[in-house]
Amino acid sequence: MKKWLSVLLVVVLMMSVLVGCSKPAETKTEPKNEGPQVYRVAYIARAQADSFAAWLANAVKEEAEKYDNIVVDIFDGQANDSTQNALIENAITSKYDAIIIQPNNGEAQRPYAEKAVAAGIITITTNARIDGIEGASSVDADPYAQAAVNAVVAIDQIPQNANVVVLNGPPGNFHADARRVSWQKEFFEKRPDVKIVGEEIANWNKDEAMNYMETWVQANSKIDAIIAMNDNMAAGALEVVKGDARFANILAYGVDGTAEAVLLIKEGLMTSTSLQSAYELATNLLATSHKLLTGEETKIDMDIDCPLINIDNVDEFIEMHKRAGAIR
Amino acid sequence: MTTNKINKIWTEIKSKYSIFLVLAVLFIICSLANENFLSYTNLTNISRQISVVTILAFGQTILIICGMLDLSSGSVLALAGVLSVSTYINTGSLLLAFIVAIIASVICNILNGLMVTKFKTPPFIATLAMMTMARGAALLYTNGQNIYQIGDYIKFGQGSTFGLPTPIVFMLVILAITWYILKHTIFGRSVYAIGGNEEAANASGISVDSIKMKAYIINGVFVGIAGVIFMSRVNGGMPNGAVGFEFHALTAAVIGGTSFTGGIGSAVGTLAGAFIVGFLDNIMVLTRVNSYLQQIIRGAIIALAVIYDIWAKSKRTKRKLRSVEADSKETAKNN
Repeated sequence: MKKWLSVLLVVVLMMSVLVGCSKPAETKTEPKNEGPQVYRVAYIARAQADSFAAWLANAVKEEAEKYDNIVVDIFDGQANDSTQNALIENAITSKYDAIIIQPNNGEAQRPYAEKAVAAGIITITTNARIDGIEGASSVDADPYAQAAVNAVVAIDQIPQNANVVVLNGPPGNFHADARRVSWQKEFFEKRPDVKIVGEEIANWNKDEAMNYMETWVQANSKIDAIIAMNDNMAAGALEVVKGDARFANILAYGVDGTAEAVLLIKEGLMTSTSLQSAYELATNLLATSHKLLTGEETKIDMDIDCPLINIDNVDEFIEMHKRAGAIR
Repeated sequence: MTTNKINKIWTEIKSKYSIFLVLAVLFIICSLANENFLSYTNLTNISRQISVVTILAFGQTILIICGMLDLSSGSVLALAGVLSVSTYINTGSLLLAFIVAIIASVICNILNGLMVTKFKTPPFIATLAMMTMARGAALLYTNGQNIYQIGDYIKFGQGSTFGLPTPIVFMLVILAITWYILKHTIFGRSVYAIGGNEEAANASGISVDSIKMKAYIINGVFVGIAGVIFMSRVNGGMPNGAVGFEFHALTAAVIGGTSFTGGIGSAVGTLAGAFIVGFLDNIMVLTRVNSYLQQIIRGAIIALAVIYDIWAKSKRTKRKLRSVEADSKETAKNN
């Protein structure tokens, strides 16, 4: 049995080698020889396991279908610097016309993005951008502004001498750090009366945020607001206090404008968030790619808007998620 | 009572119950460190917070005692969980959703078991492969997006049963099942025998491969249940949830006295290990220990547990050797 299995494996291996050598791999990305030029774009996602990154990758894929002359291949960086760097190198070797990088850790990907530029490939960084690469373009949202739109309204909403808890994203992450700095400058420095009674790193995760909140409510009978660097963590913390009369008026702020967050705002449980629209990022990424590939422009650096979502305008964003199928 | 006898009893207590002494001391320290620690609600919170990981840890305990492990449990949990949530949304049946989670997880664990027993793949590699595949399958199924609006599904993780939060009830039931399996069944004795010395177990007529497969199937049932509780607790189907839970579960089992080299461990010890980690996490947040320092402390605890495990094992081996030596001397003398 083992002998036959070994023989079979060897035959399969040899056949695959022969097939591989005799004929170039046919992929949907192969440029056509006739007709208008089709541009090949490699989109190197940070991690498909990251819900925002997955949302963005899906949006990019959908947006690409609107362009007849652009074909996008999505690659998963698996939240790993070396994997992502290897994918960029592979894309350079495969001579893609453009490479869009959603960095796992901007500085770790910088030399590889520079290599792509040096190889004459159009290079675009997104969510978050890698600043200062000569010849590269970028499409991003400004994390400082995303937090600031919430912080500015929170100044009037959070009561005097309030107790608040803060949930941070992973340290070293460009968006996590910039959002926290924004809250510090735009809110905490202007409201010295507000006391932080708990601050932890919940790594963007809902379940980690839940665990911290469960402990904080034991230590503090009064928590007036949850300040979270993304919606997932805000939703996790709110899960703990929902239905608890002591925290009936608790305020909660996030960033991203996820489907869950807009539903919580509609229910009156969450106060506000700011939209980091993957759809808008995707639209601009493809438009930017098109302009750069066709030579209409040579360099583009842009930020998408980060509108505040609250009870006044939440219906509009619920509709947006309904259209995308994220809300039934 | 002679000094020798007292020493012997003390050694026995130390080797069997040291983990509970550590837990008791930690409990007292935590109670003194913060007045909120000892409240009923806080202790219930800790129990609820550790429930998912502890259920995974019971499965790991059986596997580790048997000389194996499961690195895929966090990913399989995510896959089973999202399939279960999706089943509920599409059918409205909580029972069916529960069954789907268990079936999905058991299938993954049967594959783990087959890799280990039929293809002789080291459990580390087999379950590492499953870890990647199951996570990929969960992401593929959901397109990487969380599933919201899960309705009554939250009853599994947020409801109460017999006046206790449901996750705690699940944890206690699975504790009882694991304890019974390990202590009172032929399968349990075989698990210890295989982990202690696989060749000897094989020679004594134990069907090693069959026991290993059964151990993975039991682990699959536990992981499926944990998946339901996790998704229900976080009120959503999260394909990227429970990342790293397999390591938390391994930590609980090892701190609880399960020996990584196999043959030694208990369900109650694992529960104690999970509570030690739970108490530590809780008190560090209550007393506002710096987040980075928390990671150092957690790491140090794991290192200490493993060092203690190696030290205790070498001490036991020396004691056994001394006893064998004494026996042979005695026999030689009598002859």
